[in-house]
Amino acid sequence: MNTTTNHSTAATRIWLVLVVLTVLTWAVGESHLGGPAIVALVLATAFVKGQLVIEAFMGLRQVRALWRIIMFAYLLLVCALIGLGYAVGLH
Amino acid sequence: MTNAELTLDRTRGNALPGDFAIWIFIFAELAVFGLLFIAYAFTRAGNVELFNASQSLLDRHSGAVNTLALITSSYFVVRAVAAIKQNRVAVCARWLFAALGMGALFIVVKSAEFYVKFSEGVGLDTNTFYMFYLSLTFFHYMHVWMGMVILAVVAWKAAQGHYHAGAHTGVETGASYWHMVDLVWLILFPLVYVIR
Repeated sequence: MNTTTNHSTAATRIWLVLVVLTVLTWAVGESHLGGPAIVALVLATAFVKGQLVIEAFMGLRQVRALWRIIMFAYLLLVCALIGLGYAVGLH
Repeated sequence: MTNAELTLDRTRGNALPGDFAIWIFIFAELAVFGLLFIAYAFTRAGNVELFNASQSLLDRHSGAVNTLALITSSYFVVRAVAAIKQNRVAVCARWLFAALGMGALFIVVKSAEFYVKFSEGVGLDTNTFYMFYLSLTFFHYMHVWMGMVILAVVAWKAAQGHYHAGAHTGVETGASYWHMVDLVWLILFPLVYVIR
C-alpha cells in the first residue's frame, strides 16, 4: 500500500518537472532564440523529458534491462540525429 | 506485502507493462515517428530559411498547451494504474476519465490550430515545411484519437468493474499506448515549433 502511495507522490513530482521543462522550452520558443547552444539545450530537455516518461510513467524502470536500453538508445539516437540535421543546416 | 506478493512482483518486474502485443505496436510506431523526425531535420538542413520563416507563423501557444495537456493526461493514467494496483476500482476509472478529458483538450486545441491553418489556405503543397508540419502533426493527431478510443474502452471497462488488483493488464496496455502518444509529442513539439 505504502509503496503505491510513494509511487504516486514520485509521479506527481515527475509531472511537475515535466511541466517546468515544457514551460522552459515554450519560453525559448517565445523569445525566438536559436543557434547551436539553444538547440542543444532544447534537445537535451526533450531527451530528459522523454526518459522521465519512459522510466517513470511507462514504468520501464521496473522491467528488464534490454527494454530500457532499447528505449534509451531510441530516444538518444533520434535526439542526436535531429541535432546532427540541425548542425548540417548551419553550413 | 506478503512474501508471495513480493515474489510475484519481482517476476512480473521483468516484463513490459501490459499486453506484449501492444509493445510490438509501440515499437513500430516509434520507429515510424523517429524516421519522420529525422527526415524533417535533414530536409530542414537544406531549407533553413524557409523552415524558420514558416515555423515563425505557427501557434506556439497551442503547441505548448497541448504538451501540458498530454503530460498531465499521462500523469493521470499513471495514477489510474497505481489505483487499480491498490484495488481502488472507482478511483482508477475516475483517473482514466480525467486522462480522457485532457486528451479531448488536446483534440480541441489541435483541431482549432488546423482550422486556422486551413482557413489561411495552408495545405500540403504550400511548401516543404508545411508538408512536414501537416503530415507529422496530423499523423500524431490520429494517434491521439486512437489512444482516446483505447482509453475510453479501458475507462468504461474499469467503471464496469472489469479490473482489479489481481487483473489489470488491460489498464497497463492502454496506459502504455497512451504514454507512447505523449512521448512522441515531447519530441515533435520542440522539433517543429521551437528549434530554429
